[in-house]
Amino acid sequence: MTAAVGSSSVAEPSTSWVPVAWALARRSLVTVLRVPAAVVPLVAMPMFFVVAFSGSFSRLSDLPSFPTDNVLDWFVPFAIVQGAAFAGFGTGFSTVRDIESGFFDRLLLAPGSRAGLFVGPIIASLVRTTFTVTVVLALGFALGATLPGGAVGLLMIWVAAMGVAVIATGWALGLVYRVPNQRAGPILQIGIFFTTFLSTGNVPLADQIGWTKGIARVNPLTNILELARQGFLGEVAWRTSWPGLVAIAGSTAVLWLWAITGLKNLTP
Amino acid sequence: MTAAVLDPHEVQIGRRQALAQARALAQRSIRGTLRQPQVWLPGLLFPMFLAAVNTSTMGKAVEFLPGFEDVDSLLDFLLPASITQSVLFGGLTAGSDTATDIQTGFFDRLLASPVSRTSILVGRLAGASVTGAFQAVVFMLVYGAFGVRVAAGLPGAVLLIAYAMVLALVIGGFAAMLALKTGSAEAVQNVFPLTFILLFISSAFFPTDSMSGIYESVASRNPVTWMVDGMRHQVTVGLDWSEAAVSIAVAAALATMAIFGAQRALQARLRRAA
Repeated sequence: MTAAVGSSSVAEPSTSWVPVAWALARRSLVTVLRVPAAVVPLVAMPMFFVVAFSGSFSRLSDLPSFPTDNVLDWFVPFAIVQGAAFAGFGTGFSTVRDIESGFFDRLLLAPGSRAGLFVGPIIASLVRTTFTVTVVLALGFALGATLPGGAVGLLMIWVAAMGVAVIATGWALGLVYRVPNQRAGPILQIGIFFTTFLSTGNVPLADQIGWTKGIARVNPLTNILELARQGFLGEVAWRTSWPGLVAIAGSTAVLWLWAITGLKNLTP
Repeated sequence: MTAAVLDPHEVQIGRRQALAQARALAQRSIRGTLRQPQVWLPGLLFPMFLAAVNTSTMGKAVEFLPGFEDVDSLLDFLLPASITQSVLFGGLTAGSDTATDIQTGFFDRLLASPVSRTSILVGRLAGASVTGAFQAVVFMLVYGAFGVRVAAGLPGAVLLIAYAMVLALVIGGFAAMLALKTGSAEAVQNVFPLTFILLFISSAFFPTDSMSGIYESVASRNPVTWMVDGMRHQVTVGLDWSEAAVSIAVAAALATMAIFGAQRALQARLRRAA
């Protein structure tokens, strides 16, 4: 005799998005542990950028408007923000594998809210980024970076990194839902490279001379970098914090709308 | 009567025929590259983008930092770096395509046919070298449109093209060696970050005079620095045969090593196939 459907001995399937979000986040993080190549953009690239930029461009601090004598204080936050962007990109891009393998279709067929499909990658991005921030900061301090802004300065770099990770995850998911194959990868990377290089990543606005200056001025990342760097360049202040916080909120809203509408396009 | 090639794995054909086969395989290599703009276009556009961004964001460095005494604009300074970057990235395509030939079985079909074994390698590398020349010309034309002039004039431009061709043999040879050893296009593409590191820890983007400490020490000993500096002299100062000779001699020495390695890898693969 088989158990009757609806009998008290059969557990009802959960329709909450919370377990789905946690499961997806755990799955994404396990992938990083199982695929060593996934660690490269997460840690190796930001570490390389710290070493290469501070080495190659060490005399940039001689420029008239450069705000510090220690070029590491300028490039460590930039490398962290860039690493956070790649952490978000990696989490979003891993969805391509799920779509191609058919796993994502099974998730869509599951009962319950689809909020878990968004929250899971966000959690994974935040954990990945925390790892990046910790490792790159340790390297930066070992090489001679300073943090006169103290604990509040540390909080600001963490907030900026987390914000960029969430924004980049939204960008990646939105694109992957629209271009659900490996070809999305180069487009995602180009988007991140353009945004990071066409900002105050390398030198302050006052020291830029050409066409990038106008773009960097309106690029939201410029404000986010100011938020991230302030603790490395001096005391943390509200006037150097709020533009970055607004930029994070605005970019998150726009790019997560892009992600949500992308999922709607993907599903019939 | 034509001379026969004496390699034990070599099919016994005339030298003239072997050259014709190498030419046909080189043409195939060039055509294959041209048909895949998604492969070669980023190698042209990314260095241009990087140079454009650096010229704009760090253009003031030319006025304030040491090492830029002979430079009018950062774009002049970056022309040899962009050529080097593009050729290094593009040269990987040669190796990657060799691996793809192995993966798709085309390489086995070549071995089953009366094709000179050496021609397989020579054809691929010759194709890479011609592509390198093309890349150098494109960069000189595009940067020229933005005001960059090669101070050494026509001989300097010819030297830059020759340098690009030899450099393509370096990276093409190393990539082909890796492809023949592993048979994996992915393994060849994994060399990409290494080329990026070699470029960054050199004088390609900034002069070694403006670096300090261990970084400067490593950059000064990086062969990429020796190659780029000699070519940069032709662009920013004027014709200097000794500077050019250093650049091209370093590239030629590395190319000899790379081609020797690729030839050894080819022999090993032929032994395994026999």
